[in-house]
Amino acid sequence: MPLVQILFDSLIRASELALIAVGLTMVYSVLRFPNFAHVEYATVGAYFAYLLSVTTGLNFIVAAVVAVAATAAFGLGTDRLVFKHLRQRSDIILMIASFALGIAIRQFVLLFWGPSPQFFSVGWGNPLHIAGAHITPVQVGIIVAAALCMVSFHALLNRTKLGVSMRASADNTQLSEACGIPTGRVITVIWLLGSGFAGLGGILLALDTQLQPDMGVSMIIPVFGAAILGGIGDPYGAMLGALLFGFAENIGLNINWSPLLHALGLQAGDYAFIPAGYKEAIPFVLLILVLLLRPQGIMGRRGS
Amino acid sequence: MSGFIVYLLTITCIWGIQAFSLNLQYGVTGLVNLGQIAFFMIGGYVSVILVMLAGWPVGWGMAAGAAAAALYGMLLALPTASLQQDYWAISTLAAAEIVRLIFLNQTLGSPYVGASFGVTNIPQPLQNVIGPSVYPLFYLGLSAFCLVICWGVSHWLLHSPFGRVLKAVREGDEVPLALGKNVRGMRIRAMGVGGALGGLAGALFAHYNAFISPNYFLPIETFMVWAMVIVGGAGNFAGVLAGTLLIEVISASSRFVKDVIPVDPRVLGPARMIVISVLVILVLIYVPEGLLRERRRRYVGKR
Repeated sequence: MPLVQILFDSLIRASELALIAVGLTMVYSVLRFPNFAHVEYATVGAYFAYLLSVTTGLNFIVAAVVAVAATAAFGLGTDRLVFKHLRQRSDIILMIASFALGIAIRQFVLLFWGPSPQFFSVGWGNPLHIAGAHITPVQVGIIVAAALCMVSFHALLNRTKLGVSMRASADNTQLSEACGIPTGRVITVIWLLGSGFAGLGGILLALDTQLQPDMGVSMIIPVFGAAILGGIGDPYGAMLGALLFGFAENIGLNINWSPLLHALGLQAGDYAFIPAGYKEAIPFVLLILVLLLRPQGIMGRRGS
Repeated sequence: MSGFIVYLLTITCIWGIQAFSLNLQYGVTGLVNLGQIAFFMIGGYVSVILVMLAGWPVGWGMAAGAAAAALYGMLLALPTASLQQDYWAISTLAAAEIVRLIFLNQTLGSPYVGASFGVTNIPQPLQNVIGPSVYPLFYLGLSAFCLVICWGVSHWLLHSPFGRVLKAVREGDEVPLALGKNVRGMRIRAMGVGGALGGLAGALFAHYNAFISPNYFLPIETFMVWAMVIVGGAGNFAGVLAGTLLIEVISASSRFVKDVIPVDPRVLGPARMIVISVLVILVLIYVPEGLLRERRRRYVGKR
């Protein structure tokens, strides 16, 4: 496979992962629990957009914008309905509740839309050929949209008072509360932004591939991996983590391990690739390695 | 109808052992294992492989399945035992999926056995000796016997010094560490015991069902075990068994619901899971101790 193709595929994957991981890491650091339902917001966003654009026939862009807003409200709703009641309890209880909530959301999607995949048919032009690689206009759109989101999120965090309070809360919730930062409002904004981003990530993923009830949960490991690798509470770390996971997944399958096996003195042919059936295992193994070797993240912010 | 009740009770006994396994890890030791189903899967597969490919007797196969799952639990805990609970949870989830991917990609013996095809015609213990009419009853007896043994062993462990240290580990590392206990070692041993129980349950299931495939061991099955423990009451073995029965009744109820209300059977599967997951959330919010709360032992001198 040409190198440029791997670069494109990795960037597309990283864009989708980053949009979801940024929200996860913010909620994780402020409320101090890993929200296993977070990836389901991506599924919800995609299906909202499907409902509006395909079922009711709205213009796709309008449908996507409304769907992202609806997903943001949905994410906040899950906090008000479930997590708000559990704030005083241990993070273990919150974690289990989020696990249950994720399953409830996924099964609702399954109930309404069924298990078979659906498609957006926007029909945006033919694939472009760049240096021997294929990339569709939709995929260019995905990378651009994710980049725009990350840049505006960066501006929000650094140029506005709200953004500064968000960073302070993520850093140390109790201290920032003691300094007079309205944590309740910050939490609301973090839920809205986090689930909105995840919804957009889901829509983009569905545009690139298809809608399926388990599209969110299938990304749970790389998304968590990106957030942990980047250091919990660090949105820039999450973006970097998403890039690393995106590249690792796509490069992992294209590495010829034969020289390494020979160097280790093992019997191997001239070509030794990871079997395609194990593609999914790459992020799992990588995640466990991250947890064991750098649980505090690459920037080393969070101590244990 | 009586056939159905025997089936329901057998499944409850098998999953009850599995729920006891999680109860020992979470309810007693405080370990959040989100890859519980890996024990079940390893126990089942190892027993099936030894019985069908190596010609072992079923009883030995089941014992080996339990031992293999215990070994997996301890090996998994070895590097991860000092992680924070949230990271521990995520790493167990990832490890269980890796195990499932291995079984999904690996054929066993011949090209169409194992992998995504699953394994069919799994031999059942004493199937030639006991007639087919009473066989379900025999298997119920076997599963109930295993359940009682596991319950007894768990009870004995809990009331030994080892069990008391496990409970101390659950309440935080500081106290057991201050008393000079090896917290990491305790977690590893808890995973070993939990793994043995989970593996035994998996072996019982594989030989009962006579068919297994990697699709039986998706992460959602881990959630079912969690539902049993949370709804029943973490830390209380009788409660966990009651929770197992309740969840199994809800799971099996779909076959009756469709006779009463005319609904699309495709709706029933998701609807059932929604009922269970919403029930878990409601229990967590409103009845955090579950159906039966853990009995806390009072010690002399405690006011």
